[in-house]
Amino acid sequence: MLDDRRFIVTVGSGGVGKTTLAAALALESAQRGFRTLVMTFDPSLRLKDTLGVGEAARLADVRVDTDTRAPLHASLLDARTTFDRLIERYAPDEAAARRILENRFYAQLSGTLSGVLEYMAVERLFEVAASDAYDRVVLDTPPTRQALDFLEAPARLTGFLDSGALRIALKPWFDERGRLGKVRRLGPLGRGIEAFLDKVVGLGLLRDMAEFFQAFAPLYEGFRTRAGEVGALLRSAATGFLLVTRPEEDRVAETLFFARRLGDAGHHLDALAVNMRHPEVTTRPGRRTGVAGEALMTWLGDRDRRGLDRFRALVTGTRVLDLPLMPEEPADLVSLDALRQRLVDAWA
Amino acid sequence: MTIVEHLAHRELTLVTGKGGVGKSVVAAALGRLLADGGHDTLLLEVDPRETLHELTDTPPSGGEVVRVSSHLRLQHVPPREVIEATVRDHLKVDLLVKRVTGSPVFAHFVEAAPGIDSLAVLGHAWRIHEGMGGRSLAGVDTIVLDAPASGHGLSMLGAPAAVAEVIDSGPFGEMAGRLRGFVADPARLALVVVTHAEEMPVTETLELVAGLGARLDRSPDLVVVNGVYPEYESHGLPEAAARLWRERRRMNERELARLTRYWKGPLAVVPLLALDRGPALVAEISRHLAGVPAPDPEAAHAR
Repeated sequence: MLDDRRFIVTVGSGGVGKTTLAAALALESAQRGFRTLVMTFDPSLRLKDTLGVGEAARLADVRVDTDTRAPLHASLLDARTTFDRLIERYAPDEAAARRILENRFYAQLSGTLSGVLEYMAVERLFEVAASDAYDRVVLDTPPTRQALDFLEAPARLTGFLDSGALRIALKPWFDERGRLGKVRRLGPLGRGIEAFLDKVVGLGLLRDMAEFFQAFAPLYEGFRTRAGEVGALLRSAATGFLLVTRPEEDRVAETLFFARRLGDAGHHLDALAVNMRHPEVTTRPGRRTGVAGEALMTWLGDRDRRGLDRFRALVTGTRVLDLPLMPEEPADLVSLDALRQRLVDAWA
Repeated sequence: MTIVEHLAHRELTLVTGKGGVGKSVVAAALGRLLADGGHDTLLLEVDPRETLHELTDTPPSGGEVVRVSSHLRLQHVPPREVIEATVRDHLKVDLLVKRVTGSPVFAHFVEAAPGIDSLAVLGHAWRIHEGMGGRSLAGVDTIVLDAPASGHGLSMLGAPAAVAEVIDSGPFGEMAGRLRGFVADPARLALVVVTHAEEMPVTETLELVAGLGARLDRSPDLVVVNGVYPEYESHGLPEAAARLWRERRRMNERELARLTRYWKGPLAVVPLLALDRGPALVAEISRHLAGVPAPDPEAAHAR
């Protein structure tokens, strides 16, 4: 993975330590002499401190202060900032950009529409792919309830932009006074839509949506083209996936399901990281002390061992990495480097 | 007064927290405690993937109301179904309902309109208390909602205001207006925040507390710190396990101290338990929540 993939994507549901592992992988990549960028969404304060990247990393890539063989850069992804920047770049002129950015619906959309953040991640990946500033990009994905959301998001968002909503919105619904005008002329859909508008949605939102889509129309073709190209990039041999999970039993079904879906969609799953395993208590305590905490630690070690064994038994054709639970997230580059070393060891 | 008696007098208790902190288990434990106190309780789950039934040892709900015990019921309701029910109530004519909910415009409206899912879920709870939930939900005294894991509870509680801002008429606009008052009223809606004593969850909890104060002028009714490592006392563990335990405990203590520096309201600290996710874990966690005192109505907790 670290020798032949230009793009590495870490995926998994929330709370599995994906972001930290992405940072450790990127550190190893830079150590091996590849100019590396790690793109992350929501790092903890500690990790931001560790990498030495503050708010500035939202606007530009920030150089991480390491003495790795090749430089390591980090950037923070923020849906709103990236979306705004994209519109500024691709809008035909400044007035068109302003119309979108000041639209009330856009303000809500960019923050809440599911998929925006994920779509923006692939947009950034596309930007970086087109430049030769980096040999490798490690892309951390946003925390999702189900890891699948990430891969489906670009399709969902372009589907949304591609949809009837866009075409309908481009029709002249509203007259110049902003009142609902020619809805009866919309053809067979007309009557249903009229009832829908009147009774369900309320006109204010529809007006904002229509304005948004009208303003967005010139950018739309480019969006769709890039989404398609990035989709192809993510399925190509240039991109490898690292699926991160935890050893608890109730994670197994979800993780295997995701691994299968990745493969079915034509992605390359290079490894499954079973992260945060409690150490096994193999030597029984010398004497029975009756300390509840000792029984707990023994139980946790057994539980995680069982989970790891299940992953190993059920996952075929993909490397399973066994990564221990660390007392804390890395607080500095020294401890991030220790994690990097553990990752390398687990791989070997 | 205990927290359970306090919650029993609220129409809805919203249980919120990041994924993986044990939010559903705490919701199930609160439901169980309320039911044990003789209050007719509905446990409501809205996550697309249904898992609460595994904690109550009942068959999956699939949208139906399942009886768990004499005072406890369980229902799994995906928000989209509630949205359609709202349209149905309003349009009345079946053919028209199909036309609206089946149209691509509606699908995209539901997908794109900010906060509409959260609004629908709050609306479902509100409708049950208004007696509009049908026979299977008649007589519900109080509802415990296992809120979706993504995002803060704040986005859920902020949904009525957000929707009211973009939709000013129609059923969703009207519903948003009504629910705005509902979520702001501490006598009607309670909020329980579940967290771990680790950096990210504690930071997010403190942000939530601050945001609730600033935007809705209210604070959580209870913060549950789940999965805390017990005090270190080892006599014979191998070094790796002993060291991990010692250091995790130290981190938990540090983060708990950071939490309680700013959060002075009701707090339940639930230890990490040697139990798999299931009814036995729910029973054990309810034991830890039962005796927690209710919020002091006079105290200002935040900050």
